[in-house]
Amino acid sequence: MLAVDGATFEVRRGTITGMIGPNGAGKSTVLALLAGALMCASGSIVFDGVDVTSRSAYARARLGLIRTFQASSEFPRLTVLENLLVASRSRRGDSVLRVLAGPRTWRRDEEADLDRARALLGRFELSGQEQEYAGNLSGGQKRLLEIARGLMAEPKLLLLDEPMAGVNPALIQRIEEHLAVLRDEGLTMLMVEHELGVVERLCEPTIVMAQGRVLSEGTMAELRANEAVLDAYLS
Amino acid sequence: MSSSVQFYMTTILVYLGVDIIACLGLNLQFGMTGLVNFSFIVFQAAGAYTAAVVTLGPSSGNGGFQRYVGGANWPFPLPILAAAVVGGLLALIIGLFGLRRLRADYQAMVLLVVSLIATTVANNASGLVNGANGLALVPKPLQSTFNLSPLGFQWVFALISLSVAALIYLLVRRITNSPLGRTLRAVRENEFAAIALGKNVAALRLRAFVIGGAIAAVSGALFVEFITAWSPASWLFTESFVYFAALIVGGAGNNLGAVVGAALVPVGFLEATRFIPQFGRPGLVDALQWIVVGLLVALFLWFWPQGVFPERKRRYPPSRLRPSEADSPAPDRAPEMSPGA
Repeated sequence: MLAVDGATFEVRRGTITGMIGPNGAGKSTVLALLAGALMCASGSIVFDGVDVTSRSAYARARLGLIRTFQASSEFPRLTVLENLLVASRSRRGDSVLRVLAGPRTWRRDEEADLDRARALLGRFELSGQEQEYAGNLSGGQKRLLEIARGLMAEPKLLLLDEPMAGVNPALIQRIEEHLAVLRDEGLTMLMVEHELGVVERLCEPTIVMAQGRVLSEGTMAELRANEAVLDAYLS
Repeated sequence: MSSSVQFYMTTILVYLGVDIIACLGLNLQFGMTGLVNFSFIVFQAAGAYTAAVVTLGPSSGNGGFQRYVGGANWPFPLPILAAAVVGGLLALIIGLFGLRRLRADYQAMVLLVVSLIATTVANNASGLVNGANGLALVPKPLQSTFNLSPLGFQWVFALISLSVAALIYLLVRRITNSPLGRTLRAVRENEFAAIALGKNVAALRLRAFVIGGAIAAVSGALFVEFITAWSPASWLFTESFVYFAALIVGGAGNNLGAVVGAALVPVGFLEATRFIPQFGRPGLVDALQWIVVGLLVALFLWFWPQGVFPERKRRYPPSRLRPSEADSPAPDRAPEMSPGA
């Protein structure tokens, strides 16, 4: 039984790299390995020039490697606004000594975070739900919240695990538009996705995985003409 | 008001202060961070033993009928402070091996085992804290210093107990209203998402565990300074469940809920059962207490899981740069709690 086997690839800065493949190809496992949720038995992961293979998941996140999850992963009994505030890179307010010393030691960071969080909520049309418990949002709103929360963490690389899964077509278009704007702003993303139309419009290049290995890489037009890719999807 | 009534009232007030402190400590661990600390009573006991030992003096004194390690004659409030330090250190040691790399339900089992081991050691290691007989004749603080009458001491200690409870409340509130409190709640809600956002979940849990352990020890120290005795029978593992019941009834995650829960369960409810006339075989009413506490927990979890004072929604001031775009207010109902949340 293999859980991935040979997945060697690069994600270039400023691009959305797509990752597609049949079920069981190892795509989500690769994302989990990159994020540090799973540790590699062999091989290495280099992020922004730093070998992060042995680093824990939270340490990689602090370097800017931020992931979203395939299933909704909000903090349900925190408000929408708090879900974003938790993602702030500032950790001054997490220090026990600073907290005991009083709000003066963390208030300035908090005010800046509030401004950023509200700006993001406005961008993703969630301002009206600021005070709503995240667990009470609709599925599509939760998906938008997760992307906004990922951005709040100021990622250098955003790992998107099937962001369109289970989402209605109108919302797929909205998410796609947001991701296109982020790409144009220079954010680097790696997106695992089954919606091939979305991948074609957003991603370049696209990596095809099958049976734990990278099968091919290129534009969707190139991949459509690749016999090995077609065989992998049809077999 | 007669002296006997005053004695009873002040005793209740002391118990109230002690239980509020304990519930606030457990609320930080369980209510805010989601740590199911079934060994909570061990930290209260550690505080009680510490305060007793540094108040009693050397074990060779008092006729040498009690055997324990250490021994000093520290004046009040140093025994309380010593207890807090010991409680925090003990929580650090236990937390380092009991909280890391374990899923929440396994953590709970490990901590329950810690509680069982602790009472077994205390019962059998007679040179540690005098074994099953425990420690007695702990001098009452301030009584000789200020030449207090027995009733005077009752009132003074009730004031001390409630004052310390108020201080602990302010301390815990400072934590829960801070970014650290918000992060702890995020860890409680979804530790994997918290990790993915750069949070060192193990370290954050340990922080809550240590602070909660120190607070539990303070409650034990105050308790032993009042009742002047402490033995393993005072801190069986089931005592932790009384505090859990208090939080579930009062409202876990809400500091006011912890206060109300302390008043309702360990003080109000258990005290009220004293007035039930004994019936059936000896000890039946005491045994029924535990059954009713369990039923209380079950009923609240089924019908009122958020407790009398549910965890409140935090509100934040408007941004300076961009006013919030308020739409119609969302319903103020929290999502369904999963059992044990």
